[in-house]
Amino acid sequence: MAAAAVGAAAGGRGVLRRWLRDLGHDPVLALGHAAVALFLLGFVVAPLVAVAFAPGPADWARVAATPRWRTAALNTLTLVGLSTASSLVLGTLYAFAVTRARLPLRRLFEAVPLVLLVTPSFVSGLAFILLVGRRGLLTYHLLGLETSVYGWHGVWLAQTLSFFPVAYLVLRGVFLAHDARLEQAARGLGASRWRLLGTVTLPLATPGLLAAGLFIGIGVLGDFGNPMLVGGRFRVLATEVYTELTGWASVGTSAALGLLLLVPAVLLFAAQQRVQAATAGRFTTVGGRASGLEAPLPPPALRWALFGLCAAVTLFVAASQGVVVAGSLTRLWGVDHALTGEHYAYVLTRSRPLLNSVRFAASAALLGALVAAVTAYLVHRTRVPLRRGLDLATLLPAAVPGTLMGVAYVLVFNRPPLKLTGTGALIVIAMAASYLPVGYRICSAALQQLKASLDESAANLGASRARAFLTVILPLTWTAVAAAFAFTFVQAVGTLSTVIFLVSFDTPLAAVDVLNLAAQGRWGRACALATALLVVTFAGLGLAYLLTGGRLRGIDAAGRVGA
Amino acid sequence: MTRAAAAARVGDPPDAADADRAGAAGSVVLRGLTKRFGAVTAVDALDLTVAPGSFTTLLGPSGCGKTTVLRLVAGFAEPDAGTVHVGGRDVTGVPPDKRGVGLVFQDYALFPHMSVRRNVEYGLRMRRLPRQARAERVARVLATLGLEGLADRYPDQLSGGQQQRVALGRVMALEPQVLLLDEPLSNLDAQLRVRLRTELKELQRTLGVTALYVTHDQEEALSLSDEVVVMDAGRVQQAGSPEDVYRRPASRFVARFVGQANLLPVTAVGTEGDGRLRAAWERGELVLALPDERVPAPGTAGVAVVRPERVALAGPDGADAAAGPGSAAALALPGRVTAVDYFGPYRRYTVAVPGLADPWLADVPDAEDRHRRPGDDVTLTVSGEPSWAW
Repeated sequence: MAAAAVGAAAGGRGVLRRWLRDLGHDPVLALGHAAVALFLLGFVVAPLVAVAFAPGPADWARVAATPRWRTAALNTLTLVGLSTASSLVLGTLYAFAVTRARLPLRRLFEAVPLVLLVTPSFVSGLAFILLVGRRGLLTYHLLGLETSVYGWHGVWLAQTLSFFPVAYLVLRGVFLAHDARLEQAARGLGASRWRLLGTVTLPLATPGLLAAGLFIGIGVLGDFGNPMLVGGRFRVLATEVYTELTGWASVGTSAALGLLLLVPAVLLFAAQQRVQAATAGRFTTVGGRASGLEAPLPPPALRWALFGLCAAVTLFVAASQGVVVAGSLTRLWGVDHALTGEHYAYVLTRSRPLLNSVRFAASAALLGALVAAVTAYLVHRTRVPLRRGLDLATLLPAAVPGTLMGVAYVLVFNRPPLKLTGTGALIVIAMAASYLPVGYRICSAALQQLKASLDESAANLGASRARAFLTVILPLTWTAVAAAFAFTFVQAVGTLSTVIFLVSFDTPLAAVDVLNLAAQGRWGRACALATALLVVTFAGLGLAYLLTGGRLRGIDAAGRVGA
Repeated sequence: MTRAAAAARVGDPPDAADADRAGAAGSVVLRGLTKRFGAVTAVDALDLTVAPGSFTTLLGPSGCGKTTVLRLVAGFAEPDAGTVHVGGRDVTGVPPDKRGVGLVFQDYALFPHMSVRRNVEYGLRMRRLPRQARAERVARVLATLGLEGLADRYPDQLSGGQQQRVALGRVMALEPQVLLLDEPLSNLDAQLRVRLRTELKELQRTLGVTALYVTHDQEEALSLSDEVVVMDAGRVQQAGSPEDVYRRPASRFVARFVGQANLLPVTAVGTEGDGRLRAAWERGELVLALPDERVPAPGTAGVAVVRPERVALAGPDGADAAAGPGSAAALALPGRVTAVDYFGPYRRYTVAVPGLADPWLADVPDAEDRHRRPGDDVTLTVSGEPSWAW
């Protein structure tokens, strides 16, 4: 123990000494290093450490003894199994259809998962309620059913739709990377089209499936928006964390519930990192050079089944976005379907939440992209001390359920020295930290494609690290940084899980308001606000796309980290 | 020299200027240089002095540590022990941007988003040279390298040879005293490689810059260098002129790595004086040239090295004709031809020699060749003096 402390102190001194040396050689680098290190320490690591020690023995005992939470835990695990499996199946089929089946309307089908990926979860949630809810367009009005989407099956369906794009992106990459020669060779060796799928195509995709599955599992564990909107009385841990803190102001038990989520999430995350590292090399050798050959077509029956699947998903997505717009123009959905502009009038007269969402998300995107780019540079292109630590801390939010992060922020920033609760700054920081892994992966991928000799030649020609970054590295990777900005913005505009703990009377957010309006049954206003957010989201993406001349890179990286 | 120009001269801080003029300018001195990567010692207590203005080549197989040495000199890695002096200045621990050595990368590392002009100008901008001075210097470098017409092209619009020249020009613009080159010709096709080799050597001589060149290509090393440093396993195996290294390789490794070598196990008998050694082999005694000052004690086992172009083929009974200890002709070995390869100027015979594990090679000039076939019994005779290798 004492030896470990001495060792840590010596290690700390070594780090400090090397940092001071860097400060002398290259002050901008050293200060940038210190800045991101302090940001990650202050806003990622410290809150998590604090929240880990928040629950006392009494809190843990209560959590263990309460049947309601046992049920919630069981529900969460069940959903992880169900939604992960269904997302994987749908994502794989969809990716296979788009990359291999040479379907008509392929371009349209390719766009759908990407649209879903950037659509805030509450839009789908709202659409669900409007389409298949108690007074749903499909169920009540067309089919005359009195069923309810609220409950486990609704959450399952909503999560499948939310998470299949992640599987789709990973598997699409896998299918595109596979050398068609392998499959042509298998055909040449006498494999039938069906045998080919089972013996070559799917086995080659297994590592990708595994990585995507682990990742989706983490997402489902921490998913807050879908269960909140369509869960009804079906409770999961992520929503319980929120209820426990906001309803009962019990930091200890809500932290304990969040930590229950953290353990499996971190395990899945570690497994996912391992799978990715272990298979990275194999993928590239399998991929290798793109040969001009096209992969063999799947059997016709399968092709048309796949077309049907893609068309159904596309129609559903179009319908769900359309129904939200329709809902925003309807006086009272399910009761009075008269056309009205009153909901937009409401949204525009009370425009503060919307403006806040845009401002905060844009600031968060700026902050996040900056931290991501600098950290990625430091980790992948320099030999500054603590690189491994920076790398882990940057990826950590991907493994931390958003609600736990929310509790942690409330816990740490509710008192001096950093009393930030109720400020927009804290919301901005929370958004930036939550989506740091996405931006970091995008920037890392771009940096790793640059030859190391570029930095070295800049240095050899007399450029300091900071100048090499500004004159060589940034100009060559700025489209990735722009992508990091765009994706952080898109996710931040629609996020609920962490920020829902941090909004105050002075800092309302549109996404949280949508949830509240929906909870009050004010569908029209909720839909109008959601539509406005959707417009902002796509406007932001479009702007980024135009500014980079259509070279917004790294959307696949976003898929790898998950939404 | 203007103040700005003086400042732009790489690695030449004002206080070091005097020392430079005293004669150390352009020298590279490595002392006890050691670099470990985990359990692997890439560079092992290496000592090396590169004379100012010389063309010195680090030659060795991949993984021998030669590139690591270059990176240690350039400052991209820090040694675990030892020092690096450039131009008389201790640069150990100095970051790469303040080392004042120019490095030409194997992959050229041209900045893809900058034109040729901007690439060549880059180092001058980093040194905050005024615009006018920059333009002049760039124009001069481009003219020297015959790149004037390409100034506004981008790297991806250039051929490999042109890219190579730009990479060289980018470094030359800073007028470094020491030029490091990391296999700069390895990505070019064979003919261009030979042509650029000649150009490179001329340029280096004209500029009077010290060149430290890394390659695994022994032909390149022999043709370019004033001094060849053969490395293996992080250590210097032999350093000397190309002729020294080729004619009198100091070790079996050098003998085999630089050119082709025929080896004959021998035992040292005693010194002949004058850098010569008397050694015994299975069937008599030989006089061998020694590669360096070290004299093997009597009884030391070593090998005699014979280059294939020194071997001639005689008929099977020629072995009896060549006898008499003390002369090179003492070395005559019976063997059987196992393979014949025609190279144009000469024919290479592979000859199995009873009692030797490795076959001997004989390069027989085309004009003198008597067209022997595999299976023919021959006698190998050696002209000139074989050398001793440890």
